[in-house]
Amino acid sequence: MSRVMTPLLLIVLAALAAPADAGSLRYAEDSAPAIVNPLYSTTMAEARVNELLFGGLYADDRDLRATPLIAEGATLNAAADELRVTVRPGLTWHDGKPLTARDVAFTVETLQDPKTLSTEAGRVDWVQSVSVVNDRELVFKLKRPDPQAIEKLFFKILPAHAFASRPVTRADAFRTKPVGSGPYRLARFGDDNSITFAANPNYPKALGVSEIVMREVSDKSYQAKLLLYESLEALVRVLPRDLAVLQKSRKVELYPYQTNSWWYIGFNLNAAPFDDERVRQALACMTDVPSLLAPIGTGQTLSGPFVRSSPYYNHDVPPWPNDNARAAELMKGAGFTKVGEYWSRDGQALTVTVSAHKTLESAQEVVINLQSQWRAAGVKVDVEFLDEAAWKARIWKQHDYDVVLAQWSFDRNEDVREQLHSSGARNFGGYKNAEVDALLDSARASRDPAARKADLRKVHAIVHDDAPMIFLWSLDSYSAVSTKVRDVVVHPFAYFSFVSDWKML
Amino acid sequence: MSVGRGRAGPLAWAALRRALAAIGSVLGATLLLQALVGFAPGDAADLAANDAALREALSAEWGLNEPLLTRWGRFVLGAVQGDLGESLTVRPGASVGALITTSGARSAGLVVAALALGLGLALPLGFGGGRARRLTLILSAAPVFLALYAVMTGLNEGAWALIESGHLQRPDWFALPDAESSLRWTIGACALAWGSSSLAELQAATAQELSRVRRAPFVLAAQARGEPAWPVALRNLLPPLVEVGASHVAVVLGGLIVVERALQLNGAGDLFWRACSQRDLPLACGLAASAALVVASARLLSDLARLWLDPRLREAA
Repeated sequence: MSRVMTPLLLIVLAALAAPADAGSLRYAEDSAPAIVNPLYSTTMAEARVNELLFGGLYADDRDLRATPLIAEGATLNAAADELRVTVRPGLTWHDGKPLTARDVAFTVETLQDPKTLSTEAGRVDWVQSVSVVNDRELVFKLKRPDPQAIEKLFFKILPAHAFASRPVTRADAFRTKPVGSGPYRLARFGDDNSITFAANPNYPKALGVSEIVMREVSDKSYQAKLLLYESLEALVRVLPRDLAVLQKSRKVELYPYQTNSWWYIGFNLNAAPFDDERVRQALACMTDVPSLLAPIGTGQTLSGPFVRSSPYYNHDVPPWPNDNARAAELMKGAGFTKVGEYWSRDGQALTVTVSAHKTLESAQEVVINLQSQWRAAGVKVDVEFLDEAAWKARIWKQHDYDVVLAQWSFDRNEDVREQLHSSGARNFGGYKNAEVDALLDSARASRDPAARKADLRKVHAIVHDDAPMIFLWSLDSYSAVSTKVRDVVVHPFAYFSFVSDWKML
Repeated sequence: MSVGRGRAGPLAWAALRRALAAIGSVLGATLLLQALVGFAPGDAADLAANDAALREALSAEWGLNEPLLTRWGRFVLGAVQGDLGESLTVRPGASVGALITTSGARSAGLVVAALALGLGLALPLGFGGGRARRLTLILSAAPVFLALYAVMTGLNEGAWALIESGHLQRPDWFALPDAESSLRWTIGACALAWGSSSLAELQAATAQELSRVRRAPFVLAAQARGEPAWPVALRNLLPPLVEVGASHVAVVLGGLIVVERALQLNGAGDLFWRACSQRDLPLACGLAASAALVVASARLLSDLARLWLDPRLREAA
């Protein structure tokens, strides 16, 4: 049978064979960007595309320090409430038109215009007004003094001449014909949801990769396979289970990178019994964090809301110990008694529903292990996985949950105010602590980096004790890139920030 | 088509009834979908916004806080005027009409090919006995996504082994389903025609009609006259086959979602899945209305064809 089938298969495959195209760098996204317009970005896939097409006044250098990109420089006045920015001379847009200070002003005003309904308005919420001095100079008036204002000049600059609508809307033709000043320009949208980017000939630096193609590969586990098949040249993030296979391949190089992301178990402090810090602390003591981490990869366990490499991480605060005796004491203090195998209060066994986002990688393994750990310690656990829409509605809007397993990702500023301040937009757990609020306000207003560091380390210690979340870990992240691509440096947040240095063999 | 005087009346009446039924189907499908998506947790504004103020502004702009019937009425009114609105989350700002046209064109070929292939296979299988039926049922019962996964994995692994060993030049379809190719499309058409009991249903319906026609008096009379029975049987099989094919359109359209998702074919089925999961109500409703219209049109055409082909039905009408 095989004597017949093998030549038959060879003939069929050979008949279908034709040389595949080569030379471009293809990378995979789980889901293609819905819109190519930095005014309306909501996903990391969109952020990566924006990184290829657009530039900011400032960008990170390889040591992740703010360095001028479109700006030639910026000067903050002594009162730290006025920022004068000079635009680099000779810059042009992809369509050849000059990039001027007016484009910068247009971008800020458009982001701030409530009629734009921009998802990125928060990037310029520190700006009171912006005035153009001339084609190369403009002045930002700040809402309040901010010594770190230059660190906020990373938002993408848009060409005023390329937008047909005023106020700018989502439907503007720009979404299909974006014009930027980044290293790549949009060449075409493919029928298969792919997007092809061609090197920008006007870019001040020669580019080592002539074409980049974003391919949509919705099956995450298939992405590594495509890299091995040489159907892709780059994977943004490798799943822990694929690491071993890719490590063995001589055609693939793994690039570790440190992200400012951390996992946590967050409590709904508006719902009993999680409004009682003793219950939260008890659940923290019932959790064996290293055992939860081990099956899904490697990383560093945490005791507070910063990654260990952060200057704000308080190394004096140890993580909660996995100590069931201490957990029992805390539960008793909160009025619970052990009835049978479960902790009960008022005749009701403590039952916790853990909600996790469907797309959170490896969440299933973590939740199942957590369920087993907490059950063994006397807590009934139900589990639910929510899609993006249900997650936003149930968790963010309605606060209809007990406990979430989730992850926060931060940019270079590591600003945890939105998550921990009582007025924070992302504080859906309802955490309130006046001292933490004051420290976060002080850290944001501080002009002294040392004072800011001290404030945030105090925040770390207080939040650890209050336990509105059980801080879990920051995962080690790896990007996998074909060995055909050289001089690869991966930016931890935007991935393609240093793509102009990459070279294709 | 030239319609004789005797045929025009019943045909027009049947067409009118079908058209009314089609309007009812479209209205029902869009209302049902509005209700289903509306009751699902979260909406487009939740997905597009990252703060409460923007969420409120978007909800107001997109009319997401309006009662179900108002929203539905607005959709119907717009559709009557040829405006299906704009996509909210899948392709923000893009015209729903344009998205449906583009994706529908990609899916149309697949649907037609799957129907032709299904009927083409069902007819000879219908002549087969119980063993053929059972075998078809077993093979056809495999879930489409599993069958596709097995086929793609087998082809990819086989081709990669041959490429690595130097026996095969890298084909343009490699690796499935990532690369655009005619092979990917052909697999999709076969899966639609074959999988999720699609072929088994077609075969059962065809076999039933075949058995009915075989026992029909005019076939028995032809046999008694010593004439070959199959030309008479086939001629009389045509009207019910048309009906079987038309009623199968809905099944194929449903299968499109799975096949296009698995093979990354980016047609209307894939778009519908995205629209529902991303709560893009205008796009989901536009696609549902289009699908209902296609199904109703197929039935209308099948009725007209049957009336045209079968004089007894004309008299009954």
